[in-house]
Amino acid sequence: MTLTRDQIYEAIRSALVELFEIDAERITPEARLAEDLEIDSIDAVDLMDRLKRFTGKKIGAEDFRSVRTVGDLVVAVQRLVGG
Amino acid sequence: MRRRDAYHWRIFATGLCFTLFGVGGLVLGLCWFPVLRLLPGSAQTHRLRVLKTLRVALNLFVRVMRGVGVLSFRFEGVERLGRPGQVIVANHPSLIDVVFLIAFVPDACCVVKQALWRNPFTRGPVTAAGYVSNTPTDVMIQSASEALHARQSVIIFPEGTRTTPGQSLQFHRGAATIAIRAAAVVTPVFISCRPTTLSKGRPWYRIPYKRARFTLRVGDDIELTPFREASPAPIAARALNKYLLEIFEAELAAERRAETMETAADASAGGRGTRRIDDADQRSNI
Repeated sequence: MTLTRDQIYEAIRSALVELFEIDAERITPEARLAEDLEIDSIDAVDLMDRLKRFTGKKIGAEDFRSVRTVGDLVVAVQRLVGG
Repeated sequence: MRRRDAYHWRIFATGLCFTLFGVGGLVLGLCWFPVLRLLPGSAQTHRLRVLKTLRVALNLFVRVMRGVGVLSFRFEGVERLGRPGQVIVANHPSLIDVVFLIAFVPDACCVVKQALWRNPFTRGPVTAAGYVSNTPTDVMIQSASEALHARQSVIIFPEGTRTTPGQSLQFHRGAATIAIRAAAVVTPVFISCRPTTLSKGRPWYRIPYKRARFTLRVGDDIELTPFREASPAPIAARALNKYLLEIFEAELAAERRAETMETAADASAGGRGTRRIDDADQRSNI
């Protein structure tokens, strides 16, 4: 499956809105997940689950060690799906 | 406050109990569990044998603690614990809360702090029992969920660490997340310990002025369907966490009032000319 960066960004954005009821306008590529969007390690587990279903790939916490912002997450997911 | 209930003996007996716990942990981890591993049977059978051992050993241990007079305890509603897929959430006033739960709840997986895997006295038992570390990661959520799906019950302390006396309750969301994902039912256990003993940041020999009395009361089951139907999992977990915090706070507020009254009664009964112990041993006024 090839996914464009925009498609991945859109999936992440809708996941954040639906799962955590975050205001859509607060979500930007520069927004930091922990500090700005208040996504903690437990939330990350739910987010990973959702992205796992979206990409069809197994995603582990170790793939996201260096992820800080929404933009980082898009890049990490893209690398995983080989897009 | 006047020291009562054989104060000096209780210091000695407390030290004895710590020693017994340590030696027991070493013997089980280094001798008994390796022998059990040699027995035939599936991984499931092996785990059940380990859990049975721990239950029998810690049941004996709490009876020894009661027998030598360091504490008394009452466990109300214990028969409702240990059901398949049950998440058991408890508050955490003292070091030995989990000891009581393991001693009385059959076939339960415990979510306990990572440090127990580094402690030489507890490493053997927690490893053999397949307990789960409370480090908040996907591994914790998944391991605990798997235990629930395998029809175990899971014991978890949402505070993550012992309560600091006098501070407001804080619950980590891990317990609620696990419950929303995989539990058949959630059951609260309200633990009270009067006077405070073995609380966070207090050395073992600073024992309370009188024998500690533990009360463990099993609360009503919490239905998960309404939470699950209302919203997606992470929001439902937040709502459940908030609800749990509310019921525990209400319970603890009642407990604090009762304790304040008991402490006041003991202080006035102490009379003049009796020895007083350090301020640190008296629960701050809350």
